[in-house]
Amino acid sequence: MALDSKDIKGVRSAYDEGKLVPGGGDALPPPPANPGSLHIDHDKLRKQRKTTFGIGLLKGMAVTIKHLFMRNTVIEYPDEKQDLSPRTRGVIALKEENCTVCMLCARECPDWCIYIDSHKETLPAKREGGRPRKRNVLDRFAIDYALCMYCGICVEVCPYDALFWSREFEYAEYDIRELTHEKERLSDWMATVLPPPELELGAELPGQPSPVAAEPAAAAPAPAAAPAPAATGTTAQSPSERVEKESAPSAAAPAAASTPAKPDKAAGGAASAEPRPEASDGVASTPPGTAESREQKAPLSTQEGESALPEAAQVRVPAEAPRPVALEKTEDPQAVYDKVLQEQKDKGSSPQVAEARAKVARVKAERGIKRGPTPVEVDKPVPSAPTKHSEEESS
Amino acid sequence: MPDFIANFELTPWWILGIKLAVVLTIVPLGSLIGGYALHKELGHLQHRLGPMHAGGFHGWAQTLADGIKFILKEDIIPAKADAPVFKFAPVMIYVPIVLLYTVIPVDSKLIVEDLDVGLFFLLAVGSIPVIGTLMAAWSSANKYALIGGLRAAAQLIAYELPIVLSAAVVAMLAGSLSVIDIVEAQNWAFVIWPPGIGLIAFLIFLAGAMAEMTMPPFDMPIAESEIITGPFTEYTGMRFIFSFFGAEMAHVVAFAGIAATLFLGGYKPIVPLEFLEVIPGFVWFLLKTMFMFFLMTWIRFTLPRLREDQLQKFAWKYLIPASLVLILAAGAWVLYAPEALWH
Amino acid sequence: MAKVEDVPLGGRGTDVLWPDEISTGDLETQEMVLNVGPQHPATHGVFRLLATIDGEVLVDADPIIGYMHRGYEKLVEARDYRQITQLVSRMDWLSGINNELPMWLAVEKLMEIEVPPRAQYMRVIMCEMNRILNHLMFFASFGAELGAITPTFYAFREREDIQYALEMATGGRMHFGFMRAGGLKEDVPAGFYRQTLKGVRQVIERLDQYENLLIGNEIFKERTIGIGVLNKEDAQSFGVTGPIARGSDIDADVRKDEPYLVYDQFDFNVHTAPNGDCFDRFWVLLHEVVESARIVEQAIEALPSGPILGKVPRVIQPPPGEVYVRTENPLGELGFYLISDGDKNPYRMKIRTPSYNNVSVLPVVLKNTFVADMIAILGSFFFVLGDIDR
Repeated sequence: MALDSKDIKGVRSAYDEGKLVPGGGDALPPPPANPGSLHIDHDKLRKQRKTTFGIGLLKGMAVTIKHLFMRNTVIEYPDEKQDLSPRTRGVIALKEENCTVCMLCARECPDWCIYIDSHKETLPAKREGGRPRKRNVLDRFAIDYALCMYCGICVEVCPYDALFWSREFEYAEYDIRELTHEKERLSDWMATVLPPPELELGAELPGQPSPVAAEPAAAAPAPAAAPAPAATGTTAQSPSERVEKESAPSAAAPAAASTPAKPDKAAGGAASAEPRPEASDGVASTPPGTAESREQKAPLSTQEGESALPEAAQVRVPAEAPRPVALEKTEDPQAVYDKVLQEQKDKGSSPQVAEARAKVARVKAERGIKRGPTPVEVDKPVPSAPTKHSEEESS
Repeated sequence: MPDFIANFELTPWWILGIKLAVVLTIVPLGSLIGGYALHKELGHLQHRLGPMHAGGFHGWAQTLADGIKFILKEDIIPAKADAPVFKFAPVMIYVPIVLLYTVIPVDSKLIVEDLDVGLFFLLAVGSIPVIGTLMAAWSSANKYALIGGLRAAAQLIAYELPIVLSAAVVAMLAGSLSVIDIVEAQNWAFVIWPPGIGLIAFLIFLAGAMAEMTMPPFDMPIAESEIITGPFTEYTGMRFIFSFFGAEMAHVVAFAGIAATLFLGGYKPIVPLEFLEVIPGFVWFLLKTMFMFFLMTWIRFTLPRLREDQLQKFAWKYLIPASLVLILAAGAWVLYAPEALWH
Repeated sequence: MAKVEDVPLGGRGTDVLWPDEISTGDLETQEMVLNVGPQHPATHGVFRLLATIDGEVLVDADPIIGYMHRGYEKLVEARDYRQITQLVSRMDWLSGINNELPMWLAVEKLMEIEVPPRAQYMRVIMCEMNRILNHLMFFASFGAELGAITPTFYAFREREDIQYALEMATGGRMHFGFMRAGGLKEDVPAGFYRQTLKGVRQVIERLDQYENLLIGNEIFKERTIGIGVLNKEDAQSFGVTGPIARGSDIDADVRKDEPYLVYDQFDFNVHTAPNGDCFDRFWVLLHEVVESARIVEQAIEALPSGPILGKVPRVIQPPPGEVYVRTENPLGELGFYLISDGDKNPYRMKIRTPSYNNVSVLPVVLKNTFVADMIAILGSFFFVLGDIDR
């Protein structure tokens, strides 16, 4: 399988020239000087094996004393926490509405740590003369985190996007039985799930032929409309909790946030004539089911009218619901945060979940989005999966 | 008044009591503060922070918390260990270290007792912990402890000589064994003047002192990654503190003070310049002690450890001949250097 | 009692004080059996060395392994390949993704799956990053065993940036589970190139400091030059591979000898050292870090765009057959002998791990060394217990 290097069109690493990250970001260390000078050097080895009379000791001591005066990069946990990447495997969250009890996750788990119970229910026919439908109803969905090896096969294999990774890791318990998270707790973790990050240059997006090597100018980290600003919004607004220490995602994300608005609107304007299918969920919370379509949108919005891409790629599939009209700010965002935090604590949610929900509410308040039920009513049953309300309706 | 008290002509007994109480306070306090300084210095040398949590502000109470923790630990003596010897070994190690503090001059009048043979007392008393280490090793009924103890025996005896000889150089230059006289004889600190002799004596003393306290690069006896803690492997709780950790801290602080006294000028300014006289003596002394402590810790945490035979080679083949030559040189200086060059 | 002179010499240099130069005269000495391990700070894991000591000289050393045997080769018979990926990642836990690689190469060979070029390059990048992580870890532990505890922290600080890059992409810092048949599980997120380059370049920048701290240090040189000499013949007969073999003047590197992935596209050197002592092995280790960094730079420069996962069937079921694939794990040559009977689970998977062979040569190297040298030699033999015992 030897590949000829001239057949591969490379992605030029324009990072060295600072072109790829608008504003520069943290300076990268320079590439190693004179890389060709390293060769098998037994002379160097022989020289290094010779005795030096104490100079080496002093040089070593000079190195240590230099570190005494260097800026310290220690993140003092638990007062400061590291800004983890969105893909960090912390805990698995369950979106109950999407689960059809196909048992694929339980089957594929290498440790067999997912416990699923279900029963079949017969729902009456929807229409006159139709046949009664049998549905799986989820009784129990538990993940035993004492056994779980955090491999992510269950998340990967779930065909209905009911399982997600969250980066929360602080759920240690004194009693090992508490480490088995039941359905309710797993659903609570959904509040802490982050949207998937944008992909790097050169990545192929689903449903899209591989673009030609992107020009550095157009290759600003592909902005995704709401989720990226939401992510930056939450990270930027809680600096005391998440200290950004040389973390590339958050360095790239603010940079990304500065550029998305213009190309987004431009692309949006160009394709406004196309019908926009309904989105699934609200805006600032996670649109996991639409992750793929969002990624489809990514390279297009950077083109700004360039015809570099073939015609077929011009078809747009917008990621989420139309952005809601900004209302005037009715409440102070910080007060909203405190209120929701208190509500969640009274309800008994775990601290990470409470914090995440409060943050989401604050972001919504800042943007003037009204708090309340999301545009798509959750109470209305989605046609394929039964919810707890559908039983009442159909009965 | 009973006779024996009436015979204390020079010092009323209650002043002596106060002095001893002061010493008994300073020694643990010194080890606590020294331990904290060690942790912080170690942290920053290793590009991290050191204690930050205990006590709030940069973890100042870390060693205090450690001390309390150690007091609360269970007292375990191995079944096969020789109990009386096992229990007595920490005493043998710690008490002489406390005694060291009695002849360190913090200021010209701030010394517990200015013995005429202060330096001799220091060296003699400083050799006693060796026996304690051996006692700990043999009584522990543990092969690792035995190996550590045997290494310690060889090393500590070998390194007594460089210390004694370089201290002898100092005594010769000062013309007296009393520590106060030694300090008074240093208008220019011995490290600086006489040139060469003082510096090399200082380095030899430093190497010898670090070996006496089994600090890296001479810490084969307690080579942590090989024989866990050497002779003190079986010790827990307060016995551990008094035999190893606390003792080492106290010992390091004591030797820092001794080195400051002998070589850096004690409570006098390093160089006899007028404007430096403004700073009081004990401040100079504390600064020099802290500097010595810093230096020893810095060396300690940078260098890997020498193997036992390399240790011995270093002592017997290099340090001791060098210090003997130094004694000759110091003697020549004392006898033949003209008066004008003295200060 | 055997006299030390009767034991054949192996593993000692000549510029150190030999035990037989010390005359004990007619002094009767007794040997002591010292159990180094299984709990010991210096052995990398639950490794037991039954040492017979005469004073400070090691007369005999018998490594006893198996304290960490988890039954991998049996476990994998009941799991499918994606699940095995997770298990196998925990073998040599310092080289995460390098463990998954030969298994998937074997499966791809059996199923004749073509891996797209972007996936190949990305696999190379991740494997080389992991090599740097592994070597930095052994740099840290070698210093610590010799008593220099400070380089440990520096090495761990350098590892952090690279681990963060891998965490961005895979979600884990140590166990990745990222390889699949035909490529990688998903593509890397934005900022990965930057973070990778940053991490790798920082390591290179600071490598001189670490050289000063250890390689230039006289005490370190005294402790390692001439110690633990492994002859070339011994290394070859025991099947020692990896930096240890290359430190004994064996020019063997699977990446050059039988290139897999796209290693033949890169310009890198294989460092060998002629003397076979601890210093040389360590020297080879550090220089391999530099070479890995070069490979990562070249790979990111040449990284093509495209899919990250080739065309694979939904269920990975290799047709019946057997295949042996070997790759260059950071510790040596890792080989997977896979026998498939057409099922989702392998019929038999024999794993040839580098540390198993590397450790088997210890009795030869440890003859007639001092106890302190034993520790230095153990430190310079880069092995991971999970790799030995599986």
